[in-house]
Parts: sequence; structure tokens; C-alpha cells
Amino acid sequence: MAGRPSILIFWTLLLIPTLILAGVAFRLLSHEQERIRRNSADALLDQARVIARSIDLSLETVQENLTGSLLDIPPGDIEPRLMSWERLNPLVRNVFIFHPEGGLEYPERSIASTQEERQFIDRFSPLFSGRLSFGFNKLSKEGTTVQASSRKKLYALSRETQPTQSTTKSGWIPWFSDNRLYILGWVRQNETEPVYGVELELMVLLSRLTAEFPENSRPGTALVLMDGSHTPIHQSGPLETDGDKTPVGRIMVSPHLPHWTITAFTGKDASGTGQSFLILSLILVGILLTAIVSGGILITRLTLQNIKDARQKTSFVASVSHELKTPLTSIRMYAELLLSKRIKDPDKQHHYLEVIVQESGRLTRLINNVLDFGKLEQGKKKYHPTPFDMVVFLEELIRTHEIRIQNTGLQIIKEFSMGSFTVNTDRDAMEQVVLNLLDNALKYAGRGQFIKFILIREGNDIQVKLQDDGPGIAPNTREQVFKKFFRADNSLTTVQPGSGLGLSIARQMLRDLGGDLTIEPDLRKGACFTIRIPFDETD
Amino acid sequence: MRKFKFSALALIFVMTLATAANAAVPETVTCRVEIDRAVLPPGGPQNVVLKVTLDAPRAPVQAGRPRVNIALVLDQSGSMGGTKLEMAKAAAIEAVSRLDKNDVFSLITYDTNVHTLVPAQRVRNINHILRAIRQIEAGGNTALFGGVSQGAAEIRKYIEGDYIHRVVLLSDGLANVGPRLPGDLGRLGSGLFKENISVTTVGVGTDYNEDLMAQLAQRSDGNTYFAETGADLPRIFARELGNVLNVVAKQVILTITLPGGVKPVEIIGREGRIKGNKIELSMNQLYGGQEKFALIEVRLPESWAGKTLNVARAKVNYHDPYTMEIRTSTGIATAKFTNDPAKVEASTNVKVVRDYQLNLNAMAQEKAIELSDQGKPAAAVQALRESAAKLKVYGGKYQDEQLIEEAKEAEVQADTLERQGMSKKSRKILRTKSYQMKNQQMQE
Repeated sequence: MAGRPSILIFWTLLLIPTLILAGVAFRLLSHEQERIRRNSADALLDQARVIARSIDLSLETVQENLTGSLLDIPPGDIEPRLMSWERLNPLVRNVFIFHPEGGLEYPERSIASTQEERQFIDRFSPLFSGRLSFGFNKLSKEGTTVQASSRKKLYALSRETQPTQSTTKSGWIPWFSDNRLYILGWVRQNETEPVYGVELELMVLLSRLTAEFPENSRPGTALVLMDGSHTPIHQSGPLETDGDKTPVGRIMVSPHLPHWTITAFTGKDASGTGQSFLILSLILVGILLTAIVSGGILITRLTLQNIKDARQKTSFVASVSHELKTPLTSIRMYAELLLSKRIKDPDKQHHYLEVIVQESGRLTRLINNVLDFGKLEQGKKKYHPTPFDMVVFLEELIRTHEIRIQNTGLQIIKEFSMGSFTVNTDRDAMEQVVLNLLDNALKYAGRGQFIKFILIREGNDIQVKLQDDGPGIAPNTREQVFKKFFRADNSLTTVQPGSGLGLSIARQMLRDLGGDLTIEPDLRKGACFTIRIPFDETD
Repeated sequence: MRKFKFSALALIFVMTLATAANAAVPETVTCRVEIDRAVLPPGGPQNVVLKVTLDAPRAPVQAGRPRVNIALVLDQSGSMGGTKLEMAKAAAIEAVSRLDKNDVFSLITYDTNVHTLVPAQRVRNINHILRAIRQIEAGGNTALFGGVSQGAAEIRKYIEGDYIHRVVLLSDGLANVGPRLPGDLGRLGSGLFKENISVTTVGVGTDYNEDLMAQLAQRSDGNTYFAETGADLPRIFARELGNVLNVVAKQVILTITLPGGVKPVEIIGREGRIKGNKIELSMNQLYGGQEKFALIEVRLPESWAGKTLNVARAKVNYHDPYTMEIRTSTGIATAKFTNDPAKVEASTNVKVVRDYQLNLNAMAQEKAIELSDQGKPAAAVQALRESAAKLKVYGGKYQDEQLIEEAKEAEVQADTLERQGMSKKSRKILRTKSYQMKNQQMQE
């Protein structure tokens, strides 16, 4: 009984660290998961930054090259050159020549001007009417010496062959009209010359930029190029962004596209690798915890089993000693009486001898059981099958033990079916089985009326049933009676002697012989054991 | 509507020189200039309609056809699922099987994203292409702009070669990723036109934006089609491919020079540029056997009976994809003035009148769409009825069956509009027909 508190302590010692371990593992994992998610969002934003830089660079290059080309036009050739650009260059939507004094020289508003030209003039009317100077925004530059980023300086170095004292001015104007963006580039050779330039074909530019937009195949993410009013222009990435998804970040694209952003979105299944990492880790932690807990359970079960076995063995030794002592005491007492020769009555002498023989028979059976138990446990029990008739066998056995049965006050009832009941089995083992059952019946059903021997054939089996109308066996212990050392009553308080081995040995032997021993499951009164043994077909 | 004045009784000789400087060589594009009336009454300034016709020859049978560079851009958004996508795939497979080893093909699909399934390549491994087509599945949004952009990017990979460049766009829905205004796509079309890339647009079902599709096609000189169901797609693809494989002139530039005194008024139904006394129109290509024309209204100076006037001189420059040469062809029109109204009347060129009226009808159809969009269905019906009445008058006057036929159709359109309002389907039919008329898209 000292095992129980120690098991409790063992379990506490096992469970507490296990739970702490699980908690810590889970916390670490969710931290890791969060870190991976953040990393993936950061990586996405980095990619957005790279794309924004590349778009900015492309725009800058386009604009610088266009400015350069505009400045390269010889002054006398401006109009035809610009018109040919407009006709042939996909990046040029409209061209214009504006004289600060004379107003707009080209395109002129006339009956012949196209709708596009009229809209163009209207769109930029503050500039073309002279109300607004071309250099109003800070994106304009003077000469080629501009305050610029190191990259621009590098470009300037690569282009400039000789330092010029030029008075050229140029600039790019992101222009909003009707809430839409237009981009106008202008140059001016010197103060006396007209301002001329081009309007960029924004759609063509976008078309080129989107076709260059790098592929983003990370699941659950999307990079979206959005204009100033957050309308998507181009999307890369499988995540559906319609609805009200909140972006993880917005990167400004370029000062040339004011308020345009590359917006990064992530969805639930964003960090696909992180998700699988979490699942995998949880599985591993789960396996570890299961191993620890099930190991603990196994150890506990084994411990409990050992405690139980030890208790049963103690009880077994006690009962066997008791069993051995009782007949020995009788034998010794009667033998001493006979030896003292004080008993003269021959009837009494005869009775004493009978008791001695009977008690030594009981002793023999007990010892046989213990020996058989040992052999069965080690698998060393040997059988010698011989064919015999079950009816003859039972009749003989009943006749031998008739007196013993009748002494307990039980009536013998025999219900033997007609027909052949030859079996090929170990006769001694069979006898031991039937006697074990009979002993049990005599032991426990002494207050009953009868003991019934039934012999029937069912299929290929012969069944021998021993039924009594005693107190029977409680339903919850019916199967347990076949376990070794088990006793239906508490072995230390019982009035009946016994080792708790008989039924266990009987069943084991019958199973070894190809039969079985079962108990009738639903008998209203008393107990009924069934021996099943195969019918000898060779007969 | 232009009013024709019949004033004095002057006798006029009109010569319309349907020239062709090199008419003897049949495989050249010829250029004709005609006036709606070859003989005119004398008097104050008056407006006449010029029809400048380009007659493309049949493609030479013996020579190998020019190589084509086609990008097929398919909408695979969720709404395309089922029959529409299956028919589109069947049509695409049919189209690919008609290309040969020297042609270039690329396949782009778009949903929310743009996918280049077959990058631009010579049609060598046809099985690979067919496999890519069969794998297309529907789902997602409609990134139409991105799809066309990618299509153009694939075309550009072979832009230097002497190919006929063509993007064929198929869509059944409203673009909801990227620029989506008809004007914006029109601008993209203008840009692509400058690179000699035409976009042919095929709208399927009744949910796509026909204005967008028509503008994109018009600005880039492609064709536009309306397929009510997927079942029409194979036929449309076959026709489109038939056109593309039949190009006989590329980068066509038509310049009309008006002599002193004659003033340009308006170009009817086409985009062109008027600069002083010069009118310039350009087209990406002419198909074999096709007649393409431009209608221009001009104002003649005051004239007297017996005067002969050079009205216009037209010159066409184009690139011949068979000979790889730049070719030129010219035409000229002169008018004479007479006081005899009978001669004026007899000189009417019915074909010019017919094409002029049909173009005006196309513009009336567009006007009707516009009015209906503004929530003025009655005015839209009115516009169609007026146009129908005018067609009927001219049809009766010149005994022209085509005009009478069109008049009837316009009546029917007006009736339907009056009864049921502007349905999605009839709006698409009107838009597509009007475009096909203005652009002289080849019919079967």
C-alpha cells in the first residue's frame, strides 16, 4: 500500500515538468511563428521597395532621356521634329510649343484641331495661358548642373563631354486634371526661345512598367501598384485584395508619380513556410509529450501490476500453507491415535484410516495443482492424449466421488444426451479439470439442492457442464474467476480454503488440449461451468 | 446634315480620275478619290464629301504569306468558367493549328494576375502550346490592362522582324484591376498603334465593356467582335486569323493634299490629323481584297460655270510585306461646274452617298448610345429614327437596296429601344456595328 503515495509523487514530478516543457515549447513556437510572419512581411516590403526604386529609376531615365532629346533639337527644326515624335513615339501623347509672349504656338485651337488636342489645351490651360510659370514646381532644373542625388551626378558625368555654360531650363510636371494624373515635360533653350515639350503617354508608360513588374508567387501575398486614390493599377501575387484587407505597408513609388504607392498585402496563409514549421514543431512537441506521459502511464501500470501480483502471491502462499496444513493435521492426529493403540473399536479404526486416505487424496490433488501450475506457467506441462468415451469417464468419476458429494447433502443429476462421445485427450488432465470444478461446487454450493452433470454435443465439440444451484458468482467477477490467484471471496476472510488456482489451471489445460472452459454468463441461480473439448472424429 | 445646294444652271464636266499610276501592276494598293457629286453648281462656297478609297489587291497565291506575330490574351477570370472558357480554348487551339513554323505565337492569360503561359516563340513545338492552352482554368478578377500590356511585351520580343503584329484580346467582363476607362485603354491602343501593333478585341457575353473594347481596337486599328455566346468564338477566331494571314499592306499612311482655296472641314468616322491643307490618316494594315476608305468633308471656293477645279490629291504610302518595299500610289479628283441642275443631279456618285450616309448612321448609333447613357432614351430613339428616315430618303432617291436595308434595321433598333430600353446586348450590337462600319472591318 506504500506504493500509492509514491506513485502520486512520481506523477507530480513527471507531469509538472512536462506541462512546463509544453508551455515553454508552445510559447517559443508562437514567438518563432510571429518572427517568421514579421520576416516575411519585411521581405515583402523590401521587394516592394526594390520595385518602387526600379520604377522610379525607369521614370527618371525616360524623363532624362526625353529632356536630353528635346534639348538636342536644333531651334529651327522644333515643330516638324515634335510632330514626327507625336506620330511615331508611343511614349509621346501630345507635343506643344509655347511662347511666353505669343502664347501657344502649337497645337493651335482651330476647326482642324482634334478632340485630343482640344482636351490637351484645356487640360494645361493654366500653363498655356501664361497664368502659371513652367518652372513652378521644384522638379525643374536649370542647366545641367543640378542639385541631385549621387546617382544623377553619375549619370551627368557619363553624359557630359564638356562643361557647358548653358542657360537651358527644363522640368517635369506631374499635373492633376479631373483628379487624373498627366505628366508634362518641357525645355527652354534660353530666355528668348519658346518653351516646348511633350506630354507623356501615361498608359503606355504604365503598360511598359507593369509588363516589367516582377512576378511574386509567394502564396497569400500581393504587391499592388496603386495610384493616388488607391485604385489598383497592377497586381502581382495570388492574394485577392478586393474587400477591406488592410495592407502591411505602403511604399511611395516616385516623386514623378505623386502619391502612387506599392502596397503590400498578406493574407492568413501568408508565411506558408512558417505555418508548416509551426505545425511540424507542434507535432514533434506533441509526440514528445505523448511519449513522456505514456511512458509514465506504462511505468505506473507495471508498478501497480507488480504490487497486485506480490499481494496475490502472498495470499497464495498463505492459503496454500493453510490448505496443506489442514489435511496434514487430520492425518497426523488420526495416525497418532491409531499408533497409541488406545482405539480398540475396529469400526473407529477403519473410519480413522478412511479419513487419513481421504485427506491424503486431497493433499495429493492440492500438490498436483501447485505442480501443474508451475509446469503450465513455464509451458512444460506434457499431455498424453488417449481416446476414451466421455460417458464412461464421467460415470466412473461420479461413482468414485459419490459418497463425498452425498455427504455434502447434494443430489446428483445426470443429463447425458444419446450418441457417441469419444474424445482423444489427456484423461488425467480431464479428470483434474472435472475434479477442480466438482471441488468448487462442493465448496461453494453446499447449501444448494443438487449438482447437475450435463453431457451434450454441439457441432464438432463435446460439452460437459457442471451446474449447481448455490449462491453463484457475482456477474462482475465471472470472467475474473479464471485468473490465477483470484478468489471470488476475499482470500483472507473466507471460510472456504483454496489456492485460487483451480479454475485458472483448468482453463489453461483445456485450451492447451484444444478446448475451453467457460462460465454461463446469464444464469439466474447458481453457477454453471462448461467444458468444451473437440469430438474425436477418427472414432 | 449636309445640305446640297442646287443653284445655277451651269453645265459641268466632272472627271473623277480613279487613278492608279501603276494600275497595270495588279498587286499594288490603288488609291481613288471620288466626290459625292462629280458635277457641281457654280456660286458661293459649298461643301462636298470626298471619298478616298484604298483598294487592296488579293494576296498573291503563289508567294508565301507574310509571317505573323500573334499574342493571344485570354480572360480567365471566374466569370469565364464553363462553356465560354472551353469554347475560347477550342478556338485558340484551332487558331494555333493554322499557324506555321515561321509565325510567332504567345499566350497570356489574366485573372487578378497576369500569367505568360507561352512566351513569344516560333510555332515549332505545337504540342507544348496546345498543352498550355488546355491547362487554362477560370478564377479570379479581371486585370485586362495588365493582360494587354503583357501581350504587347511578348509581341515586342519579335518587333524587329518583318511580322504582322497582332494582339488578340478576349474578355467577358469588366476590367477591375488596373486602368479600366475606355479612354485609358484607347490611349494604350494609340501607343501600340505607333509600334505597329494592332489589338483585336473579342467581347463574349453581355457583361463586358464594349466601349473599352471598341476604343482599344479602334485606336490600334484592330478589329472588334461581339460574341453573344461562346459558340461564336471559333468562327470569330477563324475570321480574325484569316484577316491577319491575309495582310497585303502594312503601315499605311494616306496623305490628302487640298489645292489652294479648298478647305478641310471634317474627317468623318476616322481619326486623322488636319494640318493646313494636308490631311493625314494612318492605318496599321490592309487585308487582301479589302476596300478601305476615308470620308472627308471639304469646302470648295466660290466658282463659276465652266470652271475645272482640282479638289484633292491623295497619296498612299505603305509597306508591302511580300516584297518588303515601301510602295506609293496616288489618286486625284477634279470637279467641273455647270448651270444645268439635271447634270448635277445625274453626276451623283451613289456609292459615295451611300458610304457617307452609312457612316452618318454609325455616328447616329453612337449618339443614341450616348443619349441613352445620359438617361435620355426618348432622344436616343429620336436620333435613330431621324437617321433611319434619312437613309430611307436617300435609299428611295437612288434606288439603293443597302441603304433601304440599313434604314429598316435602324427602324427596328429604334423600335426595340423604345419598347425595351437599351439592353446590354443591343448596346453591344450598336457599338460593334458602328465601329465595324466606320472602320470598314471585313465581313464574311
